[in-house]
Amino acid sequence: MSVATGGAPAAARPTFRALEIDPRLLGMLVALGVIWVGFDLLSGGAFLTPRNLWNLSVQTSSIAVMACGMVLVIVTRNIDLSVGAILGVTGMLIGVLQARLLPEILGLEHPATWMIAVTAAIVIGATIGLFQGALIAYLAIPSFIVTLGGLLIWRGAAWWVTQGQTVAPMDGRFRPLGGGIDGAIGATASWIIGGLACAAILTALFATRARRVRFGFHVRPAWAEAVIAVLACGAVIGAVLIANAYPLPVGIVRRLAEAQGIAWPPGGIFIAHGLAVPVLIAIGVGIAMTVLATRTRFGRYVFAIGGNPEAAELSGVNTRRTLMLVFGLMGALCGIAACISTARLNAATNAAGSLDELYVIAAAVIGGTSLAGGAGTIAGAMLGALVMQSLQSGMVLLGVDAPLQNIVVGLVLVSAVWADTVYRRGIK
Amino acid sequence: MRTPLVEMRDISIAFGGIKAVDAVTVDLHAGEVVALLGHNGAGKSTLIKVLSGAYRADAGEIRVRGEAADIFTPRDAKKYGIETIYQTLALADNVDAAANIFLGRELVTRWGTLDDVAMESEARKVMGRLNPHFRRFKEPVRALSGGQRQSVAIARAIHFDAKILIMDEPTAALGPAETKQVGDLVKQLKTQGIGIFLISHDIHDVFDLADRISVMKNGRLVGSARCTDLTKDEALGMIIMGKCPPGAVPGPGANAA
Amino acid sequence: MQRRHLLAAGLGAGVLATPGILRAQGRGPVIGVSWSNFQEERWKTDEAAIQAAIRAAGGTYLSADAQSSPAKQLTDIESLMARGVKALIVLAQDAQAIRPGVERAVNEGVAVVGYDRLIEIPQAFYLTFDNVEVGRMMARSVLAAKPEGNYVFIKGSGADPNANFLFQGSMEILKPHIDAGRIRNVGEAFTDGWLPANAQRNMEQFLTRNNNRVDAVIAANDGTAGGAIAALAAQGMAGSVPVSGQDADRAALNRVALGTQTVSIWKDARELGRTAAEVAIRLAGGARLAEIPNSQQRSQGAGRPTMTARFLTPVPVTRDNLAVVIDAGWAPRASICQGVPAGRAPACG
Repeated sequence: MSVATGGAPAAARPTFRALEIDPRLLGMLVALGVIWVGFDLLSGGAFLTPRNLWNLSVQTSSIAVMACGMVLVIVTRNIDLSVGAILGVTGMLIGVLQARLLPEILGLEHPATWMIAVTAAIVIGATIGLFQGALIAYLAIPSFIVTLGGLLIWRGAAWWVTQGQTVAPMDGRFRPLGGGIDGAIGATASWIIGGLACAAILTALFATRARRVRFGFHVRPAWAEAVIAVLACGAVIGAVLIANAYPLPVGIVRRLAEAQGIAWPPGGIFIAHGLAVPVLIAIGVGIAMTVLATRTRFGRYVFAIGGNPEAAELSGVNTRRTLMLVFGLMGALCGIAACISTARLNAATNAAGSLDELYVIAAAVIGGTSLAGGAGTIAGAMLGALVMQSLQSGMVLLGVDAPLQNIVVGLVLVSAVWADTVYRRGIK
Repeated sequence: MRTPLVEMRDISIAFGGIKAVDAVTVDLHAGEVVALLGHNGAGKSTLIKVLSGAYRADAGEIRVRGEAADIFTPRDAKKYGIETIYQTLALADNVDAAANIFLGRELVTRWGTLDDVAMESEARKVMGRLNPHFRRFKEPVRALSGGQRQSVAIARAIHFDAKILIMDEPTAALGPAETKQVGDLVKQLKTQGIGIFLISHDIHDVFDLADRISVMKNGRLVGSARCTDLTKDEALGMIIMGKCPPGAVPGPGANAA
Repeated sequence: MQRRHLLAAGLGAGVLATPGILRAQGRGPVIGVSWSNFQEERWKTDEAAIQAAIRAAGGTYLSADAQSSPAKQLTDIESLMARGVKALIVLAQDAQAIRPGVERAVNEGVAVVGYDRLIEIPQAFYLTFDNVEVGRMMARSVLAAKPEGNYVFIKGSGADPNANFLFQGSMEILKPHIDAGRIRNVGEAFTDGWLPANAQRNMEQFLTRNNNRVDAVIAANDGTAGGAIAALAAQGMAGSVPVSGQDADRAALNRVALGTQTVSIWKDARELGRTAAEVAIRLAGGARLAEIPNSQQRSQGAGRPTMTARFLTPVPVTRDNLAVVIDAGWAPRASICQGVPAGRAPACG
């Protein structure tokens, strides 16, 4: 019995269709390109500089990390309004841990302090998330209500930790998690990571193709695979080039040179920042979440629950446990985001993360996650976060004040969802 | 008297004070088709959901191949080889056919990740038996026609070596050609020794495919009979009026007429 | 089933455990305080001082928290009046939106003290640290450190009138220098919600736009100063660029000792709270506005109503006079001097 009924090879004539790129992803990339070029023209070339792009990537990291989790939450037909508040209370707790508790037990600047703080952040965030998830999954309280309550409770708790006092500064080894001079890995390490990433992309493309060929399934034409490989690797190399083109400030380089006894040459010394640590964290989270969502049983169940919760239940999926874990995962990601934002500000404030839930939900939705549930991609959400942050940072660069910024971001959000709706109707 | 494949004895289940199923006893032998008949709301789907693990009975017992069976969840039912094709099909619309067929029972690679390629291959094989012209394996199931979706639901049920198959209104949304296809499938499965519970409104289909019928009315069993022992009109009488004809074994719900 | 019950019990216990707050009952006047929110850390200090002073006078302290909502604050004022307060101390979330509530209070004979933020109704007493003077002090300190160059202004929240008073005060001092061309305004932005993260992002963009050629920063409070300094630190400029702040919170005092922040204007919230309580008690006892000691008649400009006001003097805290806050018991030496190398600040040794 013939198995490869759909396996007829694609037409030999090269067409754009043969690349099989998700049109929505493409649309987002185009929109991002338009925004970037537009701001660059309006700001007289200040936007598309290595420095601004590097800053932009760091500014996006925290929201991007949380947006990855929000995709899964929204896919299951739920919502989480408490992510900013969870970030706030987690940030305050690990701030107090680092600046007050651990120095008394371990002494200042102990090598293990930052690891304890990061672990604590993930554990605290996950615990809060699992607790909310349990209320939603097992007591069947609507997620809107539980997380709305969470928004109020955890924001209040964040204030309670120190009666509103700001806690600063953070541990020296913790600070790199937020970017800055210490939070960049340097040129060499960036090239190594870039090389590894390219190798991984090529291996993945090759392995998938080989597997499909073995089963006799339809594969992209060879030239299409090559184009995808070139584009993907090109993007990685491009990112590394930009990160390596952003030099450390002159003052810092001078101090480093003096410390090492190197004479200061007339042209100065160029030491690159390299890729930023929070960006690497965000990308790492993105990759892990994509694997989780598309290649594991857990991810499959999340999408099935979003498509038809009853069908999932009848198929033997433990829907309630899966739902609880989705919220637990969201909480853990808020913990990671708390580490990034606390390290970036080098202080724990009780107002940290205020209104972040709106930006996170907007990022996921702009990225193609449907509020009706059942559909969404991690990559889209991270691009959505980048789009929104590009708008905000670009507007500050142009001197546009806060209220107008908010108006613009709101309009973009509505337009993006409208465009998505039109697209979905079109493909039906 | 060979041991029945499935026995459901004195099953009762109530929802909020209303007895949906009241002390119903039915059984099924290997290689036979037992049809459950009754008006809307008689409790047929509810009874069958007890067997498939979607509901848990308040009273009564289930025996599979003569031994007591604990069926509390859909997973438990599948362990006993009980597969169900629901009236609403219970498909996740946003994922493709292979994903639906393997939902809850995915194939994994040695690293624990989903083996999509293997699942698609298996899906093509099983769908090929049911619907040789079906091509759209990569599209979400919501894009398929009613008959195609039905095929996916059937494929899911027969792929996993079902011994006991439950079919709830399988032909309700199908055209004549597809109805005949389902009928052929049922006959084929019978020859393989699979027992089938069939719920249907179409009395002609029932008499065509089934060996025995059991009729329910208002949650209670009116009676059971071999199809050869009664006429279609008598069967209709059981459904509508609860009148148990001489060819049938009466149950607690039969009218003392 | 069991898990469900456990969770429900947990929820129930949480609800029941929420403590009720017992208020000290005195036989003196009932004084109500309408707070705008407790997001900035200093307001709890104010509250403690007001409570202590009221209790010392044998009065009763009632309060309400508007949680940053002007609408809720109107409701808060109504409910405080319904509970029989003789005087109200109001920290206005929005100076315009609060007017109907204050007018009603005044008409019903309840004395009103506008606390820290101006409520421009002549029948209400205005008690504040002179916020325009705070702005002037910030500018003076930063000017002394960097008399020439590019200045960036990280302002407060656009919805808070105090942010404008601060900016106005700073500009008064800086304007002659700007006009003479010695100082250039290379960046100016409000900080949405006074959030430090927003200040950090805005500062990063200003640094990018000016290619790091920024010589001084006037930041409206310590929270925004922290954000601006974090952005400067990422460029290795923390410590070489003077930054101002306000509130003298512990993290900021630590930065002043370390040298990354030049000045934090200290408004002893305890003094403000105590004075507000004393004024409120006097007014509740029937005194007239003009009879409040140390008060003056001041209007904000031509055509604007004349307020009866009392201005307390803020204190600029720099590295050299940190002892002032330590001796006053405002913040412990240990937290101010944490991680400060020897010889950096006189008060830390």
